[in-house]
Amino acid sequence: MNRNRNGISEMGPMLGFLSILLVSLASLHCAGSFAAAQAGSLVVEEISPGNYVHYGVHDDRSPENLGDNANIGFIVGDRCVMVIDTGGSLPVGRALLEAVRGVTDKPVCYVVLSHVHPDHIFGAAAFLEGSTEAQAGINIDVIGHENLPRQLAARGTFYQKALERDLGELAAGSDIVMPTTTVAAGQVLTVDLGNREVEIRGWAPAHTDHDLSVFDRATATLWLADLLFVDHTPVLDSNITGFLDVMKLLRATEVNHYVPGHGRSDKPWPVVMDPQQAYFELILVETRQAIRDNVRLMDAVNQVAVSEAVNWVNFETYHRRNVTTAYTELEWEQ
Amino acid sequence: MMLRFLMMGALLCLPLAVLANPDAEPDHSKIPEWQVIRSLMFGDREINPDDRDVVRVYLNTRADDASTVPIMINGLIDQTEDDYIKTLYLIVDRNPQPTAGVFRFTPESGRLKLETRLRFEQYSFVRAVAELNDGRLYMSQRWVKASGGCSAPMGKNAIPASMLGKMRFRVDDQVQYDQPLLVQVQVRHPNESALASDLAPDQVPQFIRSVQVDYNDKPVMTGEVNFSLSDNPVFRFYFVPKAEGALNVRMEDTHDTVFSQSLPVAAKPPASNP
Repeated sequence: MNRNRNGISEMGPMLGFLSILLVSLASLHCAGSFAAAQAGSLVVEEISPGNYVHYGVHDDRSPENLGDNANIGFIVGDRCVMVIDTGGSLPVGRALLEAVRGVTDKPVCYVVLSHVHPDHIFGAAAFLEGSTEAQAGINIDVIGHENLPRQLAARGTFYQKALERDLGELAAGSDIVMPTTTVAAGQVLTVDLGNREVEIRGWAPAHTDHDLSVFDRATATLWLADLLFVDHTPVLDSNITGFLDVMKLLRATEVNHYVPGHGRSDKPWPVVMDPQQAYFELILVETRQAIRDNVRLMDAVNQVAVSEAVNWVNFETYHRRNVTTAYTELEWEQ
Repeated sequence: MMLRFLMMGALLCLPLAVLANPDAEPDHSKIPEWQVIRSLMFGDREINPDDRDVVRVYLNTRADDASTVPIMINGLIDQTEDDYIKTLYLIVDRNPQPTAGVFRFTPESGRLKLETRLRFEQYSFVRAVAELNDGRLYMSQRWVKASGGCSAPMGKNAIPASMLGKMRFRVDDQVQYDQPLLVQVQVRHPNESALASDLAPDQVPQFIRSVQVDYNDKPVMTGEVNFSLSDNPVFRFYFVPKAEGALNVRMEDTHDTVFSQSLPVAAKPPASNP
């Protein structure tokens, strides 16, 4: 039986879920003791043996949630640990590292950055400078898509300023970390965590032009990052036709467990993809029609697929931007 | 199976810092950036508020996508030999290069209309200053709020070299001589920001710096522009064809690459009834 460092043993699913609720509520009411909280860690769930997920919150980034907005987590092998996305700030990255330490004494050897967005990358520094691994001279390989370095370089400073605007001093130390290993579109990199082979796949432009997914072979657990949104409005930051193509490929994958980039893993695979697919298909059809009808972009964002608003949270924040991305792609179609 | 861990209680318990509401619209005349721009570009010339209905800026005031904010600037006076908007200054106060464009028009533009797409680095006023042929200045401005989420002003996709400079035109099917005709020109171009930190120090960012539109060798519109425009820049404007001819568009970027393309324009006879 696994024990975390606080000596709390594994619990049955029901009891575990209840305790998470209680902890969350206690935190909301600021009831935790200050000393305990400073040793802070994240709530993680072991969704399949060795695959630990922390579910981020859908709210906008704020000093209260510290940018804990994306789903992040880790896979534990016999030799070492792979971290998959790092959260939206250094404190979230540190809390994730604490959660790793609560599960295993094995070192972190890989950090996968699924793509450039701030809620996924800004905790990365926690795993490098000052970490036990770094002090012990253990090499941590940071893995990203081959287009990630260019995007980090182009957007990094802008994202850091925005983080400072939203979090103030709490943003300190949330540095940009560049990948040390890159994976091209269409390429699969297989790494061994010790009796545990994990595949990292680079995708053609979809959510971004540099998406990675991670597949744990032992449990058939697929970490999709932002190739899958559940409840949270899907976000399109690169290519709508590409995203739909990628979803088609993902659907055909044999998967026993999955982790979306946002939202929970409770629905069955692959029907969990249906709402996102329907949303993008409607945007595709209605944006093409708007372009044919000579509806200008300024107006199209207020017309296309607005009927989808009832199906998603954060719709106001992301939907018009998604239509903008789709429109600026589709206006170049023949 | 689930494990229970402590939450980040200490940080959750922090009182919210008292922040100035960034959503509130400030007084547009008191923006420090604007005071500098105004003085550099217009000296102490009077800039009239837009009470004569000369020029008007339209856009969605929430910049949903910081890389691509569509904007429309309409001239509200007829362009005549006696009275016309000669120059349009398009300014985004808080962008690294605030003067997004300086566009010149003629009486032959018919009615001034310009639509394009802008990048926004942060919350900012966007201003259209219209200079009439007699030198008077009129200004229309809107306050634009930056979007939340992971939106960024940089381009989303790399543009393959084979597509660089490819242009596309869109014109109303119904061409009528002596009537304003709406044209859209779009060009494949990264319009690289000079601020993008992925550029080597000796690398000149590649962005479009000039646009020139002629009809039968007479100028319709010219613009000096920069990377405050979105990647794959788009321009929509009117011109008045007086006869059959060719609309020529020529753009030049900071790598001295010239892109040009021509669109034949002719009025079609009205479709005969079957």
